[in-house]
Amino acid sequence: MSGAVLALRGIRKRFGTVQAVDGVDLDLNAGEIHALVGENGAGKSTLAAIAFGAVIPDEGTVETKAVVGLVHQHFQLVDRLNVWENVLLGREPKRGWRIDRAAARERVRALATEHGLDVDPDAIVETLPIGVQQRVELLRELERGPGVLLLDEPTAALAPTEIASFFRTITALAKAGTAVLIVTHKLQEVIDYSTRVTVMRSGRVVARYDTNATSTDEIARAMVGGELPPLAERAATTPAPRLSVRGLSAGNGGGGLVDGTFEVRAGEIVGVAGVEGNGQSALADALAGVTSYTGTIELDGVPLTATVTPAARLAAGVRVIPQDRRNEALVLGWSIAENVALGRHQTAPIRRGAILDRTAEAAATKEVIERFDVRPPDPQAVVDALSGGNQQKIVVGRALGAHPKLLVAYQPTRGIDVGAATLVQSRLIEARNAGVAVLLISFELDEIFALADRVLVMSGGRFVGAFDRANVDRGRVGALMAGGH
Amino acid sequence: MAAFFRLRIVRDLGIALIVVFGVGSIAMLLAHVSPFDGFYALFDGAFGTTSEFAETLVSATALLFPALGVALAFRAGLFNIGAEGQLVLGGLAAGVIGVFVPGPPVVSIVATLLAGAIAGGFWGGIAGFLKSRFGANEVIATLMLNVVAALLATYAVDGPLHFATANEGETPLLAKTAWLPTIVPDTRLTISIVIALLLALALRFVFNRTIFGFELRAAGEAPEAARRAGVDLRSIALQAMTYSGAIAGLGGATLVTGVLHRFNTGLSPGYGFVAIAVALVGNLEPIWIAVAAFAFGILQNGALSMQAEANVPRDIVNVIEGLVIIALAGRRYIASRRTT
Repeated sequence: MSGAVLALRGIRKRFGTVQAVDGVDLDLNAGEIHALVGENGAGKSTLAAIAFGAVIPDEGTVETKAVVGLVHQHFQLVDRLNVWENVLLGREPKRGWRIDRAAARERVRALATEHGLDVDPDAIVETLPIGVQQRVELLRELERGPGVLLLDEPTAALAPTEIASFFRTITALAKAGTAVLIVTHKLQEVIDYSTRVTVMRSGRVVARYDTNATSTDEIARAMVGGELPPLAERAATTPAPRLSVRGLSAGNGGGGLVDGTFEVRAGEIVGVAGVEGNGQSALADALAGVTSYTGTIELDGVPLTATVTPAARLAAGVRVIPQDRRNEALVLGWSIAENVALGRHQTAPIRRGAILDRTAEAAATKEVIERFDVRPPDPQAVVDALSGGNQQKIVVGRALGAHPKLLVAYQPTRGIDVGAATLVQSRLIEARNAGVAVLLISFELDEIFALADRVLVMSGGRFVGAFDRANVDRGRVGALMAGGH
Repeated sequence: MAAFFRLRIVRDLGIALIVVFGVGSIAMLLAHVSPFDGFYALFDGAFGTTSEFAETLVSATALLFPALGVALAFRAGLFNIGAEGQLVLGGLAAGVIGVFVPGPPVVSIVATLLAGAIAGGFWGGIAGFLKSRFGANEVIATLMLNVVAALLATYAVDGPLHFATANEGETPLLAKTAWLPTIVPDTRLTISIVIALLLALALRFVFNRTIFGFELRAAGEAPEAARRAGVDLRSIALQAMTYSGAIAGLGGATLVTGVLHRFNTGLSPGYGFVAIAVALVGNLEPIWIAVAAFAFGILQNGALSMQAEANVPRDIVNVIEGLVIIALAGRRYIASRRTT
């Protein structure tokens, strides 16, 4: 073992018929930030789990000289406990046989301050926005003083400002001698913050670069094994009035929406830029009909106020791609086909009287699998076994397959690889070209600028700015998002 | 073939068999009985003669109805512990109505069974209403309603619904026209087994092919995703508990019209509770539940002759049933821990 703090040699791991990792060597050195990139299913997360010791490889060796910490892509927090209880779970300071609450609180507060992570030690985890939950995950690992820190898609849920502060923390940790491995899809972050990059494809390492000697294009080509398909062309459309929202208030407290007024026309994508937790969830939920609200929502001039239920909204032609696909969009134990039917089962052709028409379901599923290149292309495959990117393709595909009038897409490419993300974005543009009104809620400014015809900015639950595609100013948008003027 | 053994239901049945024979043998050895003699007596009692085999099927049928009801609620994510109470009230309604409907056989049988289903459905529906209206935990509601049902039935047959011609704790014999026809002469095996099997097939159809079954399963497996997909979770909870109770109540009515020909407060020796195990062993799949009900019917019925012929206390069967439940529930628990 050389100077590496963590050394993986000849790692192989098979799950059923899938060779997830196929002969990988990887060294992590003290003080480096090593990015591990690749498409969904390339074996990155498995490799990270092997490095952590949570998965035993079939072949190969793992040598470590330090405590290894892992921050999971899907948070491993106890929702009903508060922040310090989660951070110190199993390592609580004791006074006699009791937990020393004051000391625990202070320890977490000090740790948070030391690493520049802003979080209230007494907040209950399930009440916190995803971005803050992430900090709790990170704190829990940092508390153990790891010499190696593995981060599985740490910024997938974070807003731009949060990402910057997150990387300040990580960079400081690396400077202090921690070896950091970041599994990510975001190539710009790789270029901006990492020192080395390892690219995986189909379980193997296909390229390794020093970051300052490569580019996002080169990395992307290595990831997909060729050129990326270009984003779909934006066709000229003649926007006509479609969605009209006036004085909309929903939710309460920090994440609520206050007095929102805007329009989305047929054949345009309106992007909502903002830091997570500034009213976007309340906006999406009000449109989806899952929460009560005040104000008016009109679709094609018809108020949608008579019955506020998801069923009524679906019937009116409103489709929402929810933020949390695993809990809010999919039945993970079901097949692809049944998930395609879900939410389209109350109208023809999938509904035929009281009967669920399996033939229509199969046809709809075939369309989604083909248009979205879902892998595996097996309608009976269980959704839980698919990669995040393929799960998201199903969610987006079934929504667009219903030919909606209005599509609300909440973080439609969250946590999915560049190939799947490009495909989803292209399909959104095609839907726009075909006359769908698209409301794109995203924390990724790049995504908003790539797709939106108009950009609205949310801050503190209010709409604080509006720009046309032609004269949008990245700096202005960023300042408004951060609460400036 | 390998795929067959990977099916969870097959592995569950395998575990059940190992527990039955393994633990059963140990228990018999402790009782100083040869396991060969004990199990011989058990199977002889369950299959030995036509009438014994018929009795096994009678027990299986009595379990199958409430097990199907429990499974329906389970599929909707609701734990209906109240099949026992729903079954008892279904029996009571059938026992009372059956005395009063001396019509042509078809009419009186249908009316009697319907009365049982409605009473059971009403009883299950109370828990469903409390769940959907106030979010009350259905486990606690149904568990308490069991006690209310048992006391209500006792009070009713000895109080306001007491017939001068009846003994304490019973209704009088039903009009003959309300008796279910037997399908094997000189046994108690009636067309109720056909009704139960048709119901299992119907339930499978409902789960797999209807919009209601689809929404029910979605609500059970992923309530938030179901809600956002337009499923009315409250309505599903109310309907699921009502239908669940109706199926259990129908089972109670078939015990009255097919087996006892009157309602008796001792109608059920706990069918509604064993049904929970039957539903779980059958993996909540109607057809497999029928298989599981048959297996439990063998145990229940063979236990009597095991006691008589081999001197094995029949309680051993209760122990075995309990262990099967623990083994399968434990397996399920471990599996659920692994996937999350």
